[in-house]
Amino acid sequence: MSLRRAIQLISLALFLFFLIVASTSFGSYLPVDSFLQLDPTHFMGTLVSARYFSLSFLTAILVLLITLVLGRIFCGYICPLGTTLDGTDKIFCPSHEKRPRLGNLRPIKYYIIAFLFGAAVLGVSLIFIAAPLSLITRFYGLVVYPVFALFADGILSIIQPLADRFGISSLVFAQIKTPRFATQFFILVFFAAIFASARFSPRFWCRYLCPSGALLALVSRKPLLRRRVTEDCTDCGKCVESCPMGAIPEDPCLTLHEECIVCRTCEKVCPVDAVAFTSEVPGQPSHGVEFSQTRRRFIASGLTGAVTAAISLTGLKAVSNQGALGQVADPRLIRPPGALPEKEFLSRCVRCGECMAACPTNTLQPIWFQAGFIGLFSPALNMRRGPCDPECIRCGEVCPTNAITNLLKNERIWAKLGTAVILRHACLAWEHQKKCLVCDEVCPFDAVVFKDEPEHEVPVPHVIEDRCAGCGYCEYFCPVQNQAAIVVTPMGALRQSRGSYEEEAKRQGLKLVLRPKDEYGLPESEEKDTRGPAPGFTE
Amino acid sequence: MNRRDFLRYHLQGAFALAAGSTGLLLPKESMAVGEPDIVVVEGAPGAATRAALNLLGGMGQFVKPGDRVLIKPNMSFSHPPESATNTHPEVVRELAVMCKEAGAAKVLILDNPLASAKRCLERSGIYDTCNPIDDCTVAMITSSKHFKRVDIPKATDMTSNEVMKEVLKSDVLIAAPVAKSHAAAGVSLSMKGMMGLIRKRRAMHWRYDLDTSIVDLCTLLKADLAVIDASRVLSTNGPGGPGKVLHEKKIIVSKDMVAADACAVSMFEWYGRRFKPRQVGHILEAHKRGLGRMDVENLTIKTMTL
Repeated sequence: MSLRRAIQLISLALFLFFLIVASTSFGSYLPVDSFLQLDPTHFMGTLVSARYFSLSFLTAILVLLITLVLGRIFCGYICPLGTTLDGTDKIFCPSHEKRPRLGNLRPIKYYIIAFLFGAAVLGVSLIFIAAPLSLITRFYGLVVYPVFALFADGILSIIQPLADRFGISSLVFAQIKTPRFATQFFILVFFAAIFASARFSPRFWCRYLCPSGALLALVSRKPLLRRRVTEDCTDCGKCVESCPMGAIPEDPCLTLHEECIVCRTCEKVCPVDAVAFTSEVPGQPSHGVEFSQTRRRFIASGLTGAVTAAISLTGLKAVSNQGALGQVADPRLIRPPGALPEKEFLSRCVRCGECMAACPTNTLQPIWFQAGFIGLFSPALNMRRGPCDPECIRCGEVCPTNAITNLLKNERIWAKLGTAVILRHACLAWEHQKKCLVCDEVCPFDAVVFKDEPEHEVPVPHVIEDRCAGCGYCEYFCPVQNQAAIVVTPMGALRQSRGSYEEEAKRQGLKLVLRPKDEYGLPESEEKDTRGPAPGFTE
Repeated sequence: MNRRDFLRYHLQGAFALAAGSTGLLLPKESMAVGEPDIVVVEGAPGAATRAALNLLGGMGQFVKPGDRVLIKPNMSFSHPPESATNTHPEVVRELAVMCKEAGAAKVLILDNPLASAKRCLERSGIYDTCNPIDDCTVAMITSSKHFKRVDIPKATDMTSNEVMKEVLKSDVLIAAPVAKSHAAAGVSLSMKGMMGLIRKRRAMHWRYDLDTSIVDLCTLLKADLAVIDASRVLSTNGPGGPGKVLHEKKIIVSKDMVAADACAVSMFEWYGRRFKPRQVGHILEAHKRGLGRMDVENLTIKTMTL
């Protein structure tokens, strides 16, 4: 195995390792979002669309600087999507003679990046459509990982009887949680298309479409270390044929450096060792010029992006500003705890799906159009799938752009997600006179109380709004099928871009307390008169 | 458990037994002939558990050498012991140790949580206290693969449900609930606690009558031994609390789940009042259907204070 393959595999393994780690409790100790921060599209796109810069993006700047010196080694060695495509190309890519001939598609990637920037200027982030790290994280996190977990749990089920027999008790009841996700078939079809595009050329995506590839190409037109060909070249054309990026034009002495990913295949296949990657200048032009006449289209693409953004901003569900009149939003759209105000949130979220893969209760799901076109694949909570653990801060920890604030543990419970509402017409106690108290039983904030009401045979639930954090335990556990009889609505959700959640919540008079210690074991003398209705007993 | 604790509990237990057998410490009514139906011991949670079981005739009548024992405590709330929503860890530990002493091959302590399983195990204190005991496993079971659909032949309402496979595999079932109030069922004691061993408990609220289905369930999952931890009693706002906690320091044991539950109901104050066992729907129904006896006034109750 060549050094490059080794580096690629290590990089991919590290990427997957971080993804797995993000979905376990070890997440907080490792920089699990570091790959996402390497992506120059994430950096530039978020910088423009959200007017946001974070020190963590220094790594993306470093990637750009390294590219200036060494060329697109990010694409050739680091990018997990590139490595994945190298693998799938082996399956899908026919030999050189059989490939259909394509016109010059290279400029497309520049049009894509121009499109994304055009939208970003208007504050709309569409980078989730094409940023490679966002795509590949979504692919592995939301499609591959659940399948992997399903199989792993299946294998575990097979060996568990053996573990029981041999007394390995830690294994007997172990289970691997299999997450389930919405939108996965879209992701699957999208990737199937990318993989199948190898029918036309290897690394089709990287050559023609990748916006990060385009950004890196812009700074690698003349890298310090680059492909040089000596006079020994016999013009045999082997390198031209074998270059996965098609970066060698008809004249093998020349190179399209901005297309070269420094895989050094040309160096390897050269029968006379005429190719080397050096900084020496042998006194001849090394750069082949290919595309031209694209400035007009480039500008047109940028304008198209801007127009798309403008159209999406005039969509019914677009958020102009928080709390404006006539706001149309999905009545059940609950964002993760600490999510920025909606407009800022959408401009920063790169839709990588890392938060969803990391969510221990699997309540975080990618959405379709509940938040309009620009909200595609952004995370929202599905309380029927799982509650939002009020002590968990994982989504904020792993978010690469801080679209979800990395909350401190003591701030977390104050990040109110919404408020639970009882749908009395569906409630077992209110409507069906059944003895049910599940919402009260499971509420971590003691925000549900059961009271005797006239004309009701059984005690019925009420929500104390000030105590409700919108965590969704009630909705998740509600025994009423399909549509729960107690649901979390976005009412009263706290979403702020700065300042303390605790202060704001207290200012609003919220009493979000996780069953505090001093409420346990009340001294018997202090609460003499507990006489009152005794729910559940009969007279 | 360290060795010193272990020895201390044993000594306390032995002392209690000796004292009990000579009648030194006992009030008159507990001197009835034959084995008592219910034993109530006041003392430290672990020691009282041991003493109570010894007065009932010892763990040996329930657990035979080589048996698989399943203990069902309350540990499905991520609260510390003082909240009285979970069984005291020392009660569970004492039970597990006594099962081991009686020759149990395997002791399983299982529940099905309502909050993060990890935090329930940690905060209840039961995992740290009991899992280190040899051949003893403390676990939360949630995955459907660990459950099996079972018919309930004696049911009048809930004729089937999914039960933990481990229950079906074990030889002895011990109910070890904490004594607490329950807004829907009145109290949550050994009978109500059996809901922790099944998967489709939501149906007990929406499809069936809760009281009837609890009794249906207990015809299937009839514990061989009921140990009610009333060291703390959650007198109001159960099952989740926070509510008024009574520091009763008692352990109630019986072979009859219904009798144990009935005894706990009549013995303590609930919502500042006194109730009769018949005022709890599922206890009344269990008695009527002959699952056990709630007429505690006609039963032999042995009491002791350590």
